[in-house]
Amino acid sequence: MPRIRTFRQELPPLALTAVLLAALVGLYSGDNFTLNILATTFLFAGLATAWNILGGFGGQFSLCHGVFFAEGAYLTANMVLGAGLSPWWSLAPAAGLAAATAVLISWPAFRLRGPFFAIATMTFSEVVLVLANYFESITGGPQGMRVPFRPGWQNMIFTGRIAYAWLMLGFLLLALIVSLVLLRSRLGYYLQAVRDNEAAAEASGIDVLRTKLMAFAISAAVTGVGGSLFVMYVRIVDPPTLLTLSDVGVRFALIALIGGVGTGYGPLFGALLVVPLEAWLRAELGAYAPGSNLVVLGAVLVLAALFFKRGLVGAFQSLPLPARWTGRLART
Amino acid sequence: MSATFLSLQGVSKRFLGLLAVDEVSFDVAAGELLSVIGPNGAGKTTLFNLLTGQLSPSAGRVVFNGVDINGQPPQARARIGFGRTFQMSQTLTSLSVLENAMIGSFLHHRHISAAADHAYASLELVGLQHRANITAGELTLSERRRLEVARALALDPKVVLLDEVMAGLNQTEVQGMVDLVRTLNGGGLTFLVIEHNLKVVRQFSHRVVVLDRGAKLAEGSAEEVLANPAVIEAYIGKSKQ
Ligand SMILES: Nc1ncnc2c1ncn2[C@@H]1O[C@H](COP(=O)(O)OP(=O)(O)OP(=O)(O)O)[C@@H](O)[C@H]1O
Ligand SMILES: [Mg+2]
Repeated sequence: MPRIRTFRQELPPLALTAVLLAALVGLYSGDNFTLNILATTFLFAGLATAWNILGGFGGQFSLCHGVFFAEGAYLTANMVLGAGLSPWWSLAPAAGLAAATAVLISWPAFRLRGPFFAIATMTFSEVVLVLANYFESITGGPQGMRVPFRPGWQNMIFTGRIAYAWLMLGFLLLALIVSLVLLRSRLGYYLQAVRDNEAAAEASGIDVLRTKLMAFAISAAVTGVGGSLFVMYVRIVDPPTLLTLSDVGVRFALIALIGGVGTGYGPLFGALLVVPLEAWLRAELGAYAPGSNLVVLGAVLVLAALFFKRGLVGAFQSLPLPARWTGRLART
Repeated sequence: MSATFLSLQGVSKRFLGLLAVDEVSFDVAAGELLSVIGPNGAGKTTLFNLLTGQLSPSAGRVVFNGVDINGQPPQARARIGFGRTFQMSQTLTSLSVLENAMIGSFLHHRHISAAADHAYASLELVGLQHRANITAGELTLSERRRLEVARALALDPKVVLLDEVMAGLNQTEVQGMVDLVRTLNGGGLTFLVIEHNLKVVRQFSHRVVVLDRGAKLAEGSAEEVLANPAVIEAYIGKSKQ
C-alpha cells in the first residue's frame, strides 16, 4: 500500500528537535560564551535550512543568498534607525523584499543551468557588495550601520544572551517548519523532480521555471528574516559582514553540504558541527593564525566530500541501524 | 464539433543540415492504437518530441482537438492530455518508485495522499507495486521502462506516446505490456507507439505509419505496410549497412 510521509508525521521529530535544542540552551543558561555560540549556530542552521529549499530540494546551487540576508539586515536597520519602528515590524517586509528580489533575478538566472546558475548568482552577490558600499544613504557605506543598545522586548535587544539563543531557536524552527511543509507538499515533490530530471518533470506537466521561482522566493524570504534578526543580534553591520561570499552566501551552502544537502535536517546537523567548531578554532587559534578557521572549514568540507558524500545525515542513514530509526532523518 | 483528435500537417524538423522529419502528415483518431515504425534514425523519436513539445517543428502544424498546439511547451501539452515515455528512461533517481508515479498523479490530485493512492494504482497497472517504496535509482532497466509508463498513465492522459517501451523487457513482461496497452486502449485511451518488435506491432496496431529518413514511407494496417516492398527494402537496406 502507498506509504508516504506527510507533514503531520514530521511533527513528532520536529517537536523532539525543539525540545533537545531548548534543553541545550537551558543547560548553558549561565554561560554567555556558549549561549553566543548556540545563538549563532541556530541562526546559521536556519539560514542553511532556507538555502537548502532551493539548493537542496531543487538542486539549484545559489550563491546569492547573502543578498537576501543583507536586504533583511539593511531593511531592519533602516526601519529602526530611520523610522524609529520596532524591528518586529520589519520581519515580514524583509521576507517580502527578499522574495521579490528572488523573483526579479529568477527570470535571467534560471535561464542558466548547473554551474552557470551558480556563477551568475555569485556575480550578482559581488555586484550587490559593491553597490552596498556605494549607496551610503541606505547602507551607511563602508563605515556600516550601528543600532544603539536600548534593551527591551519592543526593541529586540536584550541584556542577557539567553534571549538571543531563544530568538534564533525560534527562527530555526520557523525555517524547519517552512522547509518540511514544503518537502511534504506538491511543490516539494515538483522541486525534487526538477532537480532529478527537467525533461521528465516537464513531460509530467510541471512548469519548471515557476517551480524554481517559487522555491527561490520562499528560500529568499526565510533568509531575509534571518538577516533582520542578525542585525539586531550584532547591532553593527557593514557590507563585508553581510555580503562577503565566504562568510555568508557560500557558508550557507557549505553548512548544508556538510550536513546533508536535500535532506530536512541535514543543514541543522551541518551547523551543529561547523559553527561551534569554527567558534572554538577562532578562540584557540585566531590570535596567532588569523584565517585558520577557514582552513579548518575547508578541511571539514573535503573530509565530508570524501567520506560522507551525502553529508552527516547520509552517513547516519548508512549506519547498520534499523531503518525505522535512520528513516526518521531521511527525506522519505 | 468533430475536429480530428490529433493531426500532423506537413510537419518537418531540421537539425542544422539534417532533415530529421520531412513533411510528415497523418491523423490519429480518438481511441486509436497507432504504431510508428522505421529503421534506426528514421526520425520516430524526433516526431514524438514534436508532438509532445520537447521540440518545435521547423515547418508544419500539430493540431489537437482542432487547436494548433505548436507554440505550447511540454508541460502545457501534458495538461491538455499528452502522456509520454522516453526512449532513454528519464527516471527520477532520488525519489522512490511511488514518488516517481506521484509526480504524474499530482497533475490532477493536489493532495499528497490522493496523489499517492492514484500513483499506486498506476504502479499496479504496470506490476511495480511491490517496488513502491524503494528508491527508483535501484530499479533495473526493464523496471524503469515500466515506471515511465506508470508515470505517464498517472497523468490521466488522453493520448499516450510510448517510445520503445518493450526494449529490454523479457517475453513475459512484453506480453504484460501488450495486454496493458490493449486493455487501456479498449477503455478508450489513444496510443501512439514506437516499436521495433514487429510481432508486437502486428499483434496490437490498428494502423501503422512507417518513417524512413524522416519522411512517411507508408501508412495502413500492419498487414499492408509490412507486405509493402518499399517498407521491406527500407528495413533490409538499412540492416545491410
Ligand atoms: N537534438 C538533435 N540534434 C541533432 N540531430 C538530432 C537530434 N535528435 C535527433 N537527431 C538526428 O535526427 C535523426 C533522427 O533521429 P531520431 O532519434 O528521431 O530517430 P529514431 O527513428 O527515433 O531512431 P531510433 O530507432 O534509433 O531510436 C538521426 O539522424 C539523429 O541523429
Ligand atoms: Mg528513437
